[in-house]
Amino acid sequence: MFKKVVGLLTVVVTGLFLSSGALAQGISGSAHDFSGDVWNTSGELCIVCHTPHNADATVADAPLWNHEVTTATFTVYSGPGTLDATVGQPSGVSKLCLSCHDGTVAVDNFGGTTTGTSFVGGADLVGIDLSNDHPISLTYDAALATTDGGLNNPTSTNSGLGGTITADLLFSNSLECGSCHDVHDTAGNSKLLRLDNAGSALCSTCHNK
Amino acid sequence: MKPLIRLFTTACLLGLVIAANAGVKDSLHNLSTSGPGSVKATSADRVCEFCHISHSASSTGSLWSRRSSSSTYIPYSSTTSVAQPGQPTGTSVLCLSCHDGTIALGEILNQAPAHSMAGGNSTMPPGKSNQGTDLSDDHPVSFEYSSILASQNGELAMPGTFSQALPLDPNGELQCTTCHDPHDSPFDKLLRMSNMGAQICVECHLKTGWSQTSHGQSVATWNGQNPNPWSNSPYTTVADNACESCHIPHAVAGGPRLLLHAAEEDNCADCHNGNVAADDIMAEIDKFSSHRVSDTTLVHDAVEPAVVDLRHVECADCHDPHATRAGRAPGDTPANVRGVNISGAEINAAVHTYEICLRCHGDSPNQPLARTPRQHDQSNMRLKIQPSNPSFHPIASTGRNSDVPSLITPLTESSLVGCTDCHNSNSAPTVGGFGAEGPHGSSFEPILARNYVTVDNTTESASNYALCYSCHSRNSILGDDSFKEHDKHIRGEDTPCNACHDPHGVSSTQGNSINNSHLINFDTSIVFPNSNGDLRFIDEGNRSGSCDLDCHGKDHDDKNY
Repeated sequence: MFKKVVGLLTVVVTGLFLSSGALAQGISGSAHDFSGDVWNTSGELCIVCHTPHNADATVADAPLWNHEVTTATFTVYSGPGTLDATVGQPSGVSKLCLSCHDGTVAVDNFGGTTTGTSFVGGADLVGIDLSNDHPISLTYDAALATTDGGLNNPTSTNSGLGGTITADLLFSNSLECGSCHDVHDTAGNSKLLRLDNAGSALCSTCHNK
Repeated sequence: MKPLIRLFTTACLLGLVIAANAGVKDSLHNLSTSGPGSVKATSADRVCEFCHISHSASSTGSLWSRRSSSSTYIPYSSTTSVAQPGQPTGTSVLCLSCHDGTIALGEILNQAPAHSMAGGNSTMPPGKSNQGTDLSDDHPVSFEYSSILASQNGELAMPGTFSQALPLDPNGELQCTTCHDPHDSPFDKLLRMSNMGAQICVECHLKTGWSQTSHGQSVATWNGQNPNPWSNSPYTTVADNACESCHIPHAVAGGPRLLLHAAEEDNCADCHNGNVAADDIMAEIDKFSSHRVSDTTLVHDAVEPAVVDLRHVECADCHDPHATRAGRAPGDTPANVRGVNISGAEINAAVHTYEICLRCHGDSPNQPLARTPRQHDQSNMRLKIQPSNPSFHPIASTGRNSDVPSLITPLTESSLVGCTDCHNSNSAPTVGGFGAEGPHGSSFEPILARNYVTVDNTTESASNYALCYSCHSRNSILGDDSFKEHDKHIRGEDTPCNACHDPHGVSSTQGNSINNSHLINFDTSIVFPNSNGDLRFIDEGNRSGSCDLDCHGKDHDDKNY
């Protein structure tokens, strides 16, 4: 019975999110829509990141990757001594994001091109110093939540998207850029966030402060 | 979506969010529009953002979103503080980015303009949450709480031995966040633990005697008469307020040592004015003759010499509020108070009450002139009660005279008396009154429990010399048991006891056992040299002696008895 109620509620709540206040839904028209940039001669939407054939498979789980991948060594977040997670070099999907957002690889270095000249800047530039950015590429599991004391258990806490944090926001238990940001801007939230952060709802999905 | 369903959904969603996130969102640190306090934004709705951002954060803290103040702070200091905190460090810097009142609350890194705040506030409004840049009236922060510090202080718990609920920072420094949880807590003032009974304070502060003190145990409550002694606190008994009855970690215009009031005695008076404690000490202090604690302010210093040089009296000169005990018998020595022993050496703590008195009434310089001019003037009571003296009241040792027929049972020649047997409140229970015991004040000067008239030509009565008669039987004295001419002098000539006797004693540096036994040291405003120019008493033993003097126009020339 409880499951059914939660299920019903989830459907209703999800519907509420999807139906309310979306600026844009989907990548088209989002900040990741480069189809109109002068350097994107084909004008294709997906081509800057993906290709159906001959994709770069050097990064594990990279989805048919078509963009040059960063080789930078990053300074990772260590915090002021209160961090319980172990943070490694960016891995997986985060490395793909940083292949534009670290500023070492041009946005237009895709499809084999390495001579691009369009780099991210301003607030979009994360850089290779990640010490002032929320830590990524860390294992966020029930054990971490217990150790930290200020984190919700990801295996049992609702993500706000229908399932648990582990199911909806983590990548094989790892927290990555994509945990907060939806590169394809499905929800149309500001900053491509997976969940509207009004009231810091996204922060408090994990942080139990 | 139908309005009813939407309402239901919204209510459920809200319920879920609150249930899942009771914490910072419900605390005063939620400065967003949803915050519960009056210090909040007009439109910014993200709770965490006022302190944290996900990208391009300041390295001063955990993904910190605020710039640090460039203020130069006045750190806490006191003469007894071993820690010497400098400028704020660590998380205290973060807290002060709002709580020093210099930076706009809505100012967030990489964002312009700053979030506007409700009520026309920009920076932290004045009040208890605004510590300003003068931290001298706030509990010290940003100092290393080391084992060396703890042992040098002597009354601090060793690091690692107090509750882990009160964390030092990774550098071992005590910070604002040692006591406060910025992300809310179930306790008042975002404290990490309840401070009922000063639970937080006593984790670190191991004050000598505290575990037995009435200030930590009394369940006395306030009678409702202003001033409210606990206006800063939600607690209603002495024990529950504990440290915070006198100290406040963030004093606002208070006194040194984080005291609530600048005038030392006011911290005591809040309760000892009849409104909380059973005894109204302030009523005693207000009497004609008293240890007038209100005469000086900020002169007393806990590290002052045991022999007081800058003469003053404060409650803390005679009482240690951290160690004072309930149910002390009259005359019992106050607990854990420094004193000066009969040899003039500092003693900590005093064993005998007179050792506390001697801090001021012994070798202390600049004492006022003795009240009675005598052959041998001496205002140093330590010298006057020495066991080697020709005579003295038996305070530091039993008396020299083995023949005192006037003593009232159970007193004997081997009894001891204390300063407070004579110097006490005239309304003390030991003299039949209902006031406070102790030499706080009296209607009889100098703070005497009973009347002791010293002026010449006083008509003898039980009340005029009540002080003397409380130990020395009036019948015996007037019956001439010891000195055969007592009655003739006291009743016949209306001469006060004080004219011939110097009640404390005669110092061996001035007097001798021939001329100054029996506390004889004449009042030179009453007793004069005789026609031969002689002024002396000669002890001739066995209740006999002779006098050379002139008194009331009677020339005594080797007058024997």
